[in-house]
Formats: sequence, C-alpha cells, structure tokens
Amino acid sequence: MPKEKIVATGRAWPSANVLLTIGVVVVAIVVLGGVLLTGKDDPLASSTVPSDVLVNENSHRLTDAGDDAVTVVEFLDFQCPACAGYYANVTKEVERDYGDRITFVVRNFPLDSHPLAMLAAKAAEAAGRQGEYEAMYHSLYDNYERWALTDGDISDDTARARAAFDTFAKEIGLDLKRFHADMASDAVADRIAADRADGERAEVTGTPALFINGHLFSPSGDTFGEVERQFRNQLDAELAK
Amino acid sequence: MSTRIVPWLAVVGGGIGLLASFVLMVEKVALLEDPGYVPTCSINPVLSCGSVMVTPQAEAFGMPNPLLGITGFAVVVTAGVGLLAGFRPPRWFWLGLQAGTTFGVVFVHWLIWQSLYSIEALCPYCMVVWAVTIPLFWYTTLHNLARRPAGALLARYHSFVLALWFVVIIALIAVKFWDYWSTLV
Repeated sequence: MPKEKIVATGRAWPSANVLLTIGVVVVAIVVLGGVLLTGKDDPLASSTVPSDVLVNENSHRLTDAGDDAVTVVEFLDFQCPACAGYYANVTKEVERDYGDRITFVVRNFPLDSHPLAMLAAKAAEAAGRQGEYEAMYHSLYDNYERWALTDGDISDDTARARAAFDTFAKEIGLDLKRFHADMASDAVADRIAADRADGERAEVTGTPALFINGHLFSPSGDTFGEVERQFRNQLDAELAK
Repeated sequence: MSTRIVPWLAVVGGGIGLLASFVLMVEKVALLEDPGYVPTCSINPVLSCGSVMVTPQAEAFGMPNPLLGITGFAVVVTAGVGLLAGFRPPRWFWLGLQAGTTFGVVFVHWLIWQSLYSIEALCPYCMVVWAVTIPLFWYTTLHNLARRPAGALLARYHSFVLALWFVVIIALIAVKFWDYWSTLV
C-alpha cells in the first residue's frame, strides 16, 4: 500500500513523517548512548558513590581539610547502638588523630526502628542553625546512655530525651528558645529528609554507613579494635595516594 | 492511512496490555498470599514491581489497578477483533472507544508521574501497559479527528508525534534514574 502511494504522488523520498520519526529516534539513541558511554569513568567508578550524593555544600563537617582532601562521610542515627559504638571506639579518635588531614562529613539517617532518633537528629540540626552542630553531635554521643537507653534497651522516653537535649543545649550555650523553635521547624525536618534521601540514593540500608572517598567501608572484624584498625589502614592507604 | 492501523493495534496492543495486566494481578495475589514473595519483575532496586505494587497508587480507585487493565484491554481487544471482522461501527461506538482510551492515557500518565517522582521505582509490567496505552489513545484520536483539518495535519505526522512522545518519557526515566543506569554500563 505505501508503495502505491509513493508512485501515485510521484515522490521518490520517504514522507516527512517517516524522516522526522527516524530523526527523533536516531537523535534520542545518539544522545542517550553518547552520554552514557562518555560519562563512564574508570572501572572503580562503578563501586563509588558520586560525591554530590554524599556531600552537599551545607553538609556538616566535623573536620575540614578542604574539598580535595580524603573525605569520610558517615550516615548516622544518633540512637543506634552500633553508631554509638563506632563513635566511642572508632570515629571519635579518627576525628582527633586525622582532623587536619581529612574532611569528615556527617549526615542524618535516623531509622524508624529507633523512636528517639528523629528527635535527636532535630536537636543536632537545630544546634547547627546556631553554628553548634559539632558540639551537639559530641554531646549526644558522649552522653548516649543519658537519653537513648532505658535499662540498657532502646528508650522511647521522649520527655527525658528532650530534657537531656535542653541540658546539652545549655552547656553548649545555645539560645534555648530558638533551639526549641528550630527543632520544631520545617527547615530542620526538610534538611533531615534531604540527608536521608541522599543516603537512600547511596544505597545506605543500615547505620552507621561510612564512606571513604566514596567507597563504602565494610569491615570484616568482629571487635571494635579490629574495625578501628581496618578503618585507619584504609584511611592511611587513601592518604598515601 | 494512519488510522487503518487501529484494528490491528487494538488486537495486538490491547492483547499485550491484557496480558501485562493479567500477570500483574496474578503477582498481586501471590504477594497477598505471601508477603515475602518476590515478584518475577523485581529485578533490581530501580526495576522493581514489588515496591510499586504495595503503594497506595497501585490501588488508585480503592481496588487494584490491574483490574481496570484486565477489563479495559479485554474490551479493546474485542473491539479490534470486531473491526477486523468487518464491523463498521457507528460514531458513538468510536466516541466510546475515545472515552476509554482517553481515561486510560490520563491515568497512565498520572502513574508514570507517581512512579518516577513519588515511588521512585519502575515496574516493568506497568511500563508495558504505558507503552501500549499511548498508541491506542493516539490512533483512536486520529481516527476520530480524521475529518477535521487539525486531524489531517496530525495524521500526516502520526509516527513522528508518537516517537516524540515516547522519547520524552524515556528521557524523563533516563534523567531520573541516571545515577543508577550509569553504573550498569
């Protein structure tokens, strides 16, 4: 049938429709394929989470040795016992010992299974709005038992946690009224949600999730001593590059 | 010219849509029987109908969406078979088909939007339904507009418009899940 038409109208070329259709499809394939292929970096890239997912311009940095430095990113939940264990045994010392050489970024990833995790993240972010995120981060983990646990189990005592956060805020020297207002604000809630969304994009499923230069740190050791040694070894290896 | 495709499209496209809806319904029942069931179309974090099927959007009208697909596509197939058998339907029949495919195409685009920007996962069987619903709507519309000037113009560039339509959706998918696709290459 199409043949007849071409002959009847005397046209030797395919119709404008066919040409345009082919054009659209070809352009789409070339653009998609081209971007996909040229965007491919070294083979390592496949196991590396892009840095714009892990770090935002306004992300909180415990230590800052610049953007070119070895970067550690931790997605954490303030009430998760493993995170508190990492803090006490690994990251607190890393922060002290490597502070001048690495950039250590912390992101919120409060898990639903911890009833006070979101509240604690809000406290840290609210302190951050007065420039004291790092101080609140340390207070929350240094005093973990005082608010996160009840008789050794995960606590759901909101009143006690709020009282503890107020104490920390006062010790840090925060404007308490503003601290409370910020904790309840949409800005703080949105920021935590954005952190969590980035964590999901980085395929974080549990906490703590630590990335060294974009590579997920997955220790094989059973004790915190072994984990700390492995973490330091990987940091040293990256620093030596 | 372009609208002669409608009967065949209704049979083949409607049949594919019917099959996809049917499989989705079977998977849905399997998932209800056993919440731990992993549907056959859950391939990776992005291509995952399991995570799509459990969302509220999967029951947009208070019942599983595939039920709409099974009933709707069965009608489309029947209409297509009738047309192939020589049935010359009156105008109201065509307008009925127009109403059905218009509802389908609007619903499908709402689902595309939800899938990309709310659920953030793609369900392969659902995408099959998207892919057949758009041409079904498009060529039914062209048929019903055939005697109007605008219709003639659109009919002249029928496959160009359709290709552009698909390319836009594919581009939206590519952009949305870019980080993921680029790790696969």
